[in-house]
Amino acid sequence: MTFLENKAIQISIKNLKDKLRHWQYMFFSLLLPIMFTIMFYFMLGNEEDPTGRTNFDYGFPGMIMYATGIGTMNAAISFANEKSSGMLDRLDTMPTGRKNVFLGTLISESFFLMLQIIIIFIVGYVILGLYFEGPLELFFGFLVALLFGISAVGLGIMIASVSKNVEIANAFSLIIFMLLAFLSGSLMPFESIIVYFTPPYWAKQIFLQLTVLGHGINDSLFSSSLIGAGAETIPITLLGGLLIVITYTIAFTLLGILVFQKKTKF
Amino acid sequence: MSTNNNSVIIEIKDLKKHFKEVKAVDGISLKIKKGELFSILGPNGAGKTTLARMLTTILTPTSGDAYVNGHSILTGKKEIVKKIGVCPQEITIYDVLRAEENVEFVASMHGMAHKKAKGKTKELLEDFGIAGRKDWAKNFSGGMQRRLNLAMALIFDPEILFLDEPTAGLDPQARRLVWDYIRDLKEKNITIILMTHDMVEADSLSDRVAIIDQGKIIAQGTPPELKEKYGSDNVLEVSFVEKSELDLVKMNIEKIPFIVNLSEIHRKERNTLLIAFQGGLKNLVKILQQGFIGNIDEVENMKFRQNSLEDVFLNLTGRRLRD
Repeated sequence: MTFLENKAIQISIKNLKDKLRHWQYMFFSLLLPIMFTIMFYFMLGNEEDPTGRTNFDYGFPGMIMYATGIGTMNAAISFANEKSSGMLDRLDTMPTGRKNVFLGTLISESFFLMLQIIIIFIVGYVILGLYFEGPLELFFGFLVALLFGISAVGLGIMIASVSKNVEIANAFSLIIFMLLAFLSGSLMPFESIIVYFTPPYWAKQIFLQLTVLGHGINDSLFSSSLIGAGAETIPITLLGGLLIVITYTIAFTLLGILVFQKKTKF
Repeated sequence: MSTNNNSVIIEIKDLKKHFKEVKAVDGISLKIKKGELFSILGPNGAGKTTLARMLTTILTPTSGDAYVNGHSILTGKKEIVKKIGVCPQEITIYDVLRAEENVEFVASMHGMAHKKAKGKTKELLEDFGIAGRKDWAKNFSGGMQRRLNLAMALIFDPEILFLDEPTAGLDPQARRLVWDYIRDLKEKNITIILMTHDMVEADSLSDRVAIIDQGKIIAQGTPPELKEKYGSDNVLEVSFVEKSELDLVKMNIEKIPFIVNLSEIHRKERNTLLIAFQGGLKNLVKILQQGFIGNIDEVENMKFRQNSLEDVFLNLTGRRLRD
């Protein structure tokens, strides 16, 4: 069996074709974040502070988390559709294995997330000329955004598990996604203790401090404390924050798979 | 259970599936032989799909067990799914994939090599009259989507094929195409389990039929056996303008042994003779030969209602299949 004939790879190829051929997916996943980025760029203005950074330089990491957080909606709709169309049942009558279904979905979602992040990076850093520390910091930021995106996929799978149909999954995931985007302060500053309970906050803060405020990967990760909701520093280093994002990602993904299995095995 | 020393490929033992108070399947036991086309005939909601879903390992039974190709549906899922093809009642295709992409995807799930899958897909789609369509499956007509649904179940040459209402919603021409294909599959010694509420389909395709109602098998046998045992008589209805013509025919046939009843209806200028008889079409020919020599031209109208599985169901349950 060649690599391409692998079942998980085949499922991910099928998922990607499915996404790329649905204009709704493309609009919500790619065009909407671009529209928001450009809108916020003009809203926040490009007046530089004494360090040479603009308001939008500080706001852009939040936009990236907003864009990758759409993975919640994508995964919820995709799994709910598979469930309600009977396709999941049909796959269960083939020697596919749920392991390959989840793995294939994780591969396709990760691939799509990468595409989203790259596009938003191009819009932000290439077209709008936003500030970033260096390529290494940006690459690290990319990985943090991807990690957060995978946690959003896990959350989406959970939502699909408890939703009766695609419409409910769509509405439910939109509410959760928007709620998380606002409560985490990704779209606009939110000074509340609530932010610490939202995964996007940690991902956005690490990204911001690494790529906009950072002074090199080593210092940022091991020495720098994260800046809290009220602009004060909190006793957690960026590495600590990264561990929180990883924990969220693992927990959401496993929980998503477990709940989905429980709700779809009769 | 082994399938080697006898030809039973599916054995169902007191299988039950209850959804809270609803007994969808309520203690079914059956044996299906290898290479047989076995129909489960019943009205909507009788438990056909639930039974199929248990046999194809999607649903776990409340109690009981079934053995598919020698493997228990409770413990042998991995082995069972390698051998079965399933064509579900709902059209389950990926709507933004092309026909060949849908079929090739299923082939890949069965571990078929890409090259082999491509060749077989082309062949199948040609057989089903959907080759050459390059647009997405969502643009296909309902009939084409249903044929694609079936093609997806056949791509890997399954040993056992589950067809749940495969011709539902098809026009007569497409229905006949699918029936012909099912007959061809039977020639290839594939065991086919057909879930249907269509008595004509069950009658014309099946080796044996089990009639299911309210989660229970109420009768089983070959279609002629069932009709013989539980069916009604065939009825030939002949109308004449002149009563004397009717009397003549009546006299000619009244001593035929397989005729069970002769009755008359007289309305205005129409005299109708109802001839109820047992047996098949051969007996109909005998009645026509013996009763109508010389006066067939006097017949104003003739209707024939053949004993069917619908009658069997009606006689067993007091309801029609479509009720």
